[in-house]
Amino acid sequence: MKTREKKKISSRQKSEFIWGWLFILPTMLGLIVLNIYPMIDTIRQSFYKTGDFGKGNVFVGLDNYKKVFGDTEVWQALLNTLKYAVVEVPFSIVIALLLAVMLNKKIKGRDVFRTIFFLPMVVAPAAIAMVWKWLYNSNFGLINNTFHIKVNWISDPNIAIYSIAVIGIWSVIGYNMVLFLAGLQEVPRDYYEAASLDGANGWQQLINITIPLISPTIFFVLVTRIIAAMQVFDLIYMLIDLNNPAWKKTQSLVFLFYKYSFEKSKNGYGATVVVVLLAVIMVFTVVQLIGQKKWVHYD
Amino acid sequence: MKKKVIAILLSAVTVLSMIGCGSQSAPGQEAAPEAAQEVAAPEADAPQSIGNSVEGELSVTIWDEGQREGLQKIIDEWSAQSGVKATIQVVDWNNYWTLLEAGATGGELPDVFWMHSNVAQKYMENDLLLDLTDKIAASDKIDMKNYYEGIVNLYQSNGKQYAVPKDIDTIALWYNKTIFDEMGVAYPDDTWTWDDFAAAAKKLTNDDHWGYAIAPGNNQEGYYNTIYSMGGYVISDDKKTSGMDDPNSIKAVKLFTDMIAEGSCPDLATVSETAPNELLCTGKTAMSINGSWMLAGYRDNEYAAANCDVAVLPYTKSPEDRVSIYNGLGWAAAANGKNIDAAWSLIEYLGSKEAQLKQAELGVTMSAYIGTSDAWVNSVKAFDLNGHMKMLDSKLVFRPYSRDTTVWEDMMIEKLQDAWTGEKPVDEVCKDIAAEMNAALAEE
Repeated sequence: MKTREKKKISSRQKSEFIWGWLFILPTMLGLIVLNIYPMIDTIRQSFYKTGDFGKGNVFVGLDNYKKVFGDTEVWQALLNTLKYAVVEVPFSIVIALLLAVMLNKKIKGRDVFRTIFFLPMVVAPAAIAMVWKWLYNSNFGLINNTFHIKVNWISDPNIAIYSIAVIGIWSVIGYNMVLFLAGLQEVPRDYYEAASLDGANGWQQLINITIPLISPTIFFVLVTRIIAAMQVFDLIYMLIDLNNPAWKKTQSLVFLFYKYSFEKSKNGYGATVVVVLLAVIMVFTVVQLIGQKKWVHYD
Repeated sequence: MKKKVIAILLSAVTVLSMIGCGSQSAPGQEAAPEAAQEVAAPEADAPQSIGNSVEGELSVTIWDEGQREGLQKIIDEWSAQSGVKATIQVVDWNNYWTLLEAGATGGELPDVFWMHSNVAQKYMENDLLLDLTDKIAASDKIDMKNYYEGIVNLYQSNGKQYAVPKDIDTIALWYNKTIFDEMGVAYPDDTWTWDDFAAAAKKLTNDDHWGYAIAPGNNQEGYYNTIYSMGGYVISDDKKTSGMDDPNSIKAVKLFTDMIAEGSCPDLATVSETAPNELLCTGKTAMSINGSWMLAGYRDNEYAAANCDVAVLPYTKSPEDRVSIYNGLGWAAAANGKNIDAAWSLIEYLGSKEAQLKQAELGVTMSAYIGTSDAWVNSVKAFDLNGHMKMLDSKLVFRPYSRDTTVWEDMMIEKLQDAWTGEKPVDEVCKDIAAEMNAALAEE
């Protein structure tokens, strides 16, 4: 009896195993060629000093890492990246959540607003950066001229990174909002009806019903947003150049990686910088995965 | 069970269609070279055909779209003589170097391409460029004496020549005639000194516009010219020591920091957000110092074409110390190219007097062959290009470089920010730069 059952399962398992692998094979191949192999190779390269044109790479052990930890430029870049993330992530989540709750109600022109808020997500980041660059321009920009102020939005070292974060928030709100809207569809109507019978107002409903019930979505958005914010590059690359006074206070870790790997052809050191970034992101993600037990409710 | 059958059928169809696609494309790929050979076959019989040119076209890669049309015309003339077709591919500046580096690493460089002072040394030392020394010696069209010396030297390594000079650029003073008229200041001419320039900038400044706008990130279009004009230097001839702490170099940088301090030149934040050429094209600055490569941009800008013109750069004490920092591209070929003979033949043609004359005539650029650029002056009607042209007769100083130029150049641009903003005194910044530059040069 026992042996027969075992055999039956194994034949079915075998078939599922083969078909399963067959179906994910194209994706796996893509992942291995485009993601996994480059990742391993990047880690390998971080132990080398790069020679010209990929020839004459020299194994230097942990030298690159020693240099990274003693490099003030790297620490400054990490700080810049964190500043960006600290502003971009919470604001983009809170604003998107409020918008999602509002646009989940039956209001006039709901679809139009949903589309409008999602639009920045569809536009190429380079185009967004160019438009904002002119909005921020200290002499001829729309913002300064409308309010008759003189603020060097993107060339004052103290505020430039936050100005960039504002663009980041603006462009990602729509995406977060759509994810929250999806989460909101799962919340049963009866809870709200019961709550209003008990006399709870909109705010109390949001805090006590909506947020706990869509906490898995919020958690997902939080984790992915932090990872994406830590990898900020394109906005900074488009807005800031070498002769900008805010240059040192805005370059992010990925920017530094780009500078070393593609501009200075020091792939080894560039690889080390991204491996450090990878470690930082992993720490953040692990902390969040542990912390989620305290506030994320899966049913 | 039914589902399983359908699933199998569906996947079978998918697999079959993939095979179908595969079998269609495979002969297609084979057919291409065949077709190329058929086309190339008559060329092989042509008397001037070179080597194994039957392989097909040469690939030529450049980064400036503005030069494509003119250069293609010149290359087509070569094709008519040689029977080998060559097509230009344009890749923008940043991607150009990424592409070239990837090509060099993977052994797939274009057949013929532009070389630039920033990286020339690295490419030459790694034997990626075709050694042209013997070919030049045997050629009756190319003689290195005919080209501007700095460009020839740039593309030499260990006594070998790796590229043939293509063009030369000069720096000149672009100005807005309308603002000069409005403020009642005489147009700049060849009698101006740098002091006159600073004084004029002051007079030309009001609430609407500045007198002059500096390009802090572009040394060739700025302080390098005054440094050499005032008797200073950036790097010693043996490329071992920095000259940024030379009193004359400091004085030359101070010319600009003083202008920023007194307000006749916009502050660093402004020029870092809006480039000087954009300021000139919008009537926000009366003067801008620019290289001849900016010509196409000004020509195509309606405001600039109607209001702006160009004059020679000022001098310091006598017209003899009027300086233009120059640079020039070179035509290079891949050392492992498939058709080295044809590539050399194309480079030989592009460097010949005939093609260099043509290049200037078509308004592509000024040419590296001495005395062939006169026709360039008439290539754009809107401006009096003598401003750039006459700079060829001034003291030409080749753009300072070493093996790893960008390392100390970027450092200099970053450090000079403190001088432009006035945060630190100029001499302190310059001495700091010199110390770090010496350290960087010692590492090379």
